[in-house]
Amino acid sequence: MEGTVIDNRFSAMVDDRPQDRVFRVDRSVYTDPDVFGAEMERIYENGWVFLCHESQAKEPGAYFATEIGRQPVFVSRQKDGGLKGFINACAHRGALLTPWKQGKATVLTCRFHGWSFGCDGRCIRIKNEATGFPQKDFDRSRFDLTPVPRVESYRGFVFGSLNAEVPRITDYLGAAAKWIDLIVEQSPGGLEVVPGSSTYTIYGNWKMQVENAVDGYHVSTVHRVFAATVRNREERDGISGGMGMTEGGRIAGQVPSGAYDLGNGHMSIWATHTTPEVRPIYLQKERLEHELPAEDVKWILTRGRNLAVFPNVMIMDNPSTQIRVVKPVAPDRAEVTVYCIAPVGEPAAARAARLRKFEDFYLTFGMATSDDMAALEDSYEGSRARLNRWNDISNGMATMIEGPDEDAKRLGFTPASSNIDWQAETLYLGFYRRWRQMMTASVARDDQR
Amino acid sequence: MEKDNGLRQEVAELIYREATLLDRRRWDDWIDLYTADAVYWVPAWKNEEETTDDPETQLNMIYLRNRGGMEDRIFRIESRDSYASVPLDRTVHVVGNVLVENAAGDRIEAWANCVVHVYSTKSGPTTRASLYDYTLRRVNGALRIARKKITFIDDRLQGAVDIYHL
Repeated sequence: MEGTVIDNRFSAMVDDRPQDRVFRVDRSVYTDPDVFGAEMERIYENGWVFLCHESQAKEPGAYFATEIGRQPVFVSRQKDGGLKGFINACAHRGALLTPWKQGKATVLTCRFHGWSFGCDGRCIRIKNEATGFPQKDFDRSRFDLTPVPRVESYRGFVFGSLNAEVPRITDYLGAAAKWIDLIVEQSPGGLEVVPGSSTYTIYGNWKMQVENAVDGYHVSTVHRVFAATVRNREERDGISGGMGMTEGGRIAGQVPSGAYDLGNGHMSIWATHTTPEVRPIYLQKERLEHELPAEDVKWILTRGRNLAVFPNVMIMDNPSTQIRVVKPVAPDRAEVTVYCIAPVGEPAAARAARLRKFEDFYLTFGMATSDDMAALEDSYEGSRARLNRWNDISNGMATMIEGPDEDAKRLGFTPASSNIDWQAETLYLGFYRRWRQMMTASVARDDQR
Repeated sequence: MEKDNGLRQEVAELIYREATLLDRRRWDDWIDLYTADAVYWVPAWKNEEETTDDPETQLNMIYLRNRGGMEDRIFRIESRDSYASVPLDRTVHVVGNVLVENAAGDRIEAWANCVVHVYSTKSGPTTRASLYDYTLRRVNGALRIARKKITFIDDRLQGAVDIYHL
């Protein structure tokens, strides 16, 4: 009974009346501790969650430690080349098994009482087993690590789920898969995470970070100072071309662009680069034109793209290329980690330019993400006001198209809705409909697992 | 190695001056402490214990390859159009452990430690700490900063990190 009351409350937080061109979200989705707890249980620990890129656990025994919701897990490269995931807790007394976020160990030995586990999860050694567990029928396998029920990679992007019943990752990604393809197919040798990363804490809700990543609407206000700064730099230093130049044209918002609700809560935006020739990937134009369909090449070279895969990963190919992972900590806290992802073996000049563009824009030490964070934190602060509690997300409903527009049809993906302007906010309809669906669907309770 | 006390004092004074100019927001005077080709480098953390060590091929938190990069930062701060820079955080740098490491000819290597007390009117006080590696050079007789590497100790911080936090 109580569950139904709570479900109705969550459901009422999304005011979804498309026939009246009304779509509003109660800001308590950000601030309410009950919402946060339910999100951990019903979204993060019940559906697919991004874990890592395959290049972060390459050799047999290589591991990458992360979380699914509130639960520590690690992904481990197996001897046969496959990937497995395990709950990151010693089967004995629960200590974390990985001393590092990213490391390599074909045998993980717990640093507390010295129990050892193979990278396949099998318990292979118990200290003083003969005296501690002398019973004849003792079966060490009862202490094997607990597997993450589902771990699947889509073209190098590794996802995991604590719920064994989730659909295949390709089915889950749906239309978003094509947007991942547009990054992956740039490099026949694969992609790699470049050494170095940044993790920062935001005073705000994790969903605000996801929204920000595909918010074309804020760019011409929050980032006009970035555009002005690089314009000033280019005039001062006489930069009129080459990869040292910044693709500033899209920031003013006067270029062809678009926004998609990709279904299942995934979202994407794109905007035309006015100077595509200054992008690092442009050096590979001829090869791409030789290897890929013309439409793919057009999207790769001339359209900056941001993708948000529900619930916790964003993949950007805009001034630079980025994986951004958000980890919810509390209603008002999230940890965000950003990685630069790049084609393996790209020319040194392209790699350097990619990194410099990344550092210019994408870090809290940079000249744009820092402004995003400040805007986000103000939004969280303002969201505490209950007398005016609705976020209006109806901008662009008049120009929204159900299903694919011509661009989507030509490239070959099928979004739930399309919009002709990346400033439209209609992509969030899909995000919050998915959110509402997962927050009100029945899930297996912890004690039944 | 016998070190010239005069040089030691000159180096320390330059480093103290830099910190004070940042705290007092005298941006142009701050930039003037650097040579035109100065490199300003804040590596990223590669893992729990090591930073990145090749700024060209690895990710950095900040990597400015000449004074222009520093001017960009100041342009943005002074525009008053940067969300993260209005209002500006208040800072107090306390620099210590200044050591002249190597003074071969015109090129001087020095180390220092810095703790910055930051006060944000939105999120309150925080402390940030860095190790400084300086390369100094004489320009027309005056000591100038030709390279500064800042190993930023903290991670998982809230809020922006700009040149005045470092």
